[in-house]
Amino acid sequence: MDDSATFSLEDLAGSRFPLLEYAPDATIVVDAEGKIRLVNAHTERLFGYYREELIGHPIEMLIPARYHSRHVGERKGYYSDPHVRPMGVGLELNGLRKNGSEFPVEISLAPVVTIEGTFVSCSVRDSSERKAFERRLKELNTALESANRAKDQFLASMSHELRTPLNAIIGFTGTLLMRIPGQLNDEQVRQLEIVQSSARHLLSLINDILDLAKIESGKMELTFEEIGVKEVVDEVAASLAALASQKQLDFATHVADIPRPLSTDRRALAQILLNLANNALKYTETGSVRIDVWATSHNGSSAVAFSVSDTGIGIKPEDQERLFVAFEQLDRSSTRRFEGTGLGLYLCRNLAQLLGGELGVTSVYGKGSTFTLKLPHR
Amino acid sequence: MAHVLVIDDNAVNLDLMLYLLQAFGHVAEGHTDALAALEAAKAGDFDIVLTDILMPRLDGYEFTRRLRSEARRYGSIPFVAVTALAMPGDRERISSAGFDGYIGKPIEPQAFVAQVESYLRRNGS
Repeated sequence: MDDSATFSLEDLAGSRFPLLEYAPDATIVVDAEGKIRLVNAHTERLFGYYREELIGHPIEMLIPARYHSRHVGERKGYYSDPHVRPMGVGLELNGLRKNGSEFPVEISLAPVVTIEGTFVSCSVRDSSERKAFERRLKELNTALESANRAKDQFLASMSHELRTPLNAIIGFTGTLLMRIPGQLNDEQVRQLEIVQSSARHLLSLINDILDLAKIESGKMELTFEEIGVKEVVDEVAASLAALASQKQLDFATHVADIPRPLSTDRRALAQILLNLANNALKYTETGSVRIDVWATSHNGSSAVAFSVSDTGIGIKPEDQERLFVAFEQLDRSSTRRFEGTGLGLYLCRNLAQLLGGELGVTSVYGKGSTFTLKLPHR
Repeated sequence: MAHVLVIDDNAVNLDLMLYLLQAFGHVAEGHTDALAALEAAKAGDFDIVLTDILMPRLDGYEFTRRLRSEARRYGSIPFVAVTALAMPGDRERISSAGFDGYIGKPIEPQAFVAQVESYLRRNGS
């Protein structure tokens, strides 16, 4: 007997308020001996019994024989510590229909305290559909994994197969330009240099596409470690010094004092800066290109800013976002003045995001552009 | 002047490497078939071996492993992979397979022979 109880099992059956009767799950109320005391309409449909065949019989009649001994133990254990147990928690269980067929079930339990004592209310849901759905999902996942592996394999083969003929093109153009077979006239040199730079262009396209594929499949391997910011900037500047002096451009770097060491992927950072500075030199005919680095903040946390500024042709405001879209080189005329893959800035922005940072541009058309990369401290 | 063994299943790429090596005064012998190269190596005496990795019949890894185990004098000379395998991890895989050097394709024709010579020097010959 429980003094706090205010209703009987009879009330629970609810001839006046038949909420239980119309509950969306099969509901079965069981007593301390494991006998069924109450069922709703859905129980009859789910198990194929009339309720007269169920009331007063052990709950185990709805459970396949192989679970019986375990179930009796669990039932007794539950009665010694009754508590609400939600759907889908606990062991895999099957229900047994009158016709002997089985189906997977999910069960939730709750103690019901009545004037006659404590009962257990079990909600039973047929989980065959969910199980089938889970199986299907698993199959799809497996298929997806193998498709991903096939894609990786395809990229690796593509990389290898494209490099092989390029080796011969770049190689023999090189041997001719090295004058190993003999002297060349000016026109021969000019044409061979076109072959050479086109082949190099093709190679950088292949490299950019592979980098993008790696980023998209999450295969870009990044190593975050404290880096010497000045060393990275100096390396990038050194590798472009020849291009700058060839175009007679003033090329300078300035790295301000960074109070906290920056932890990032060195290779990715260098790749972004190299790309930006190379673009700046390419699109600038007179004046200067500079790389500046300083401590700043980004979205409220401390960060390091890297900017590459030029006094080049600049970018119209309406074109500025298009810059970061793949293959959107601004000058689409057939006689493109500038050679590029059209993937560089798209790749840079993707890399910046992988580093947790942001890449943006400000520009005055006809005056020059500044690309700024902000990398927050981690 | 070094005696160089070069293996590449692609005849054009093999031709390129032989041409460059000979232009810079080295004696180079080339094979498109790694099994034939294995026999030639055992019969001959080379200072350095340059081999492609992905080849039919016998790949560069297996070629290197067999030559080193079957002819003791090849235990101490440099083996350099000249390969278009350039995906992440390829270089590490090649180096841990016992190669002394890696040259990626496409090769830089102006630098190629100097790279080969640096592997020869590193080996003290």
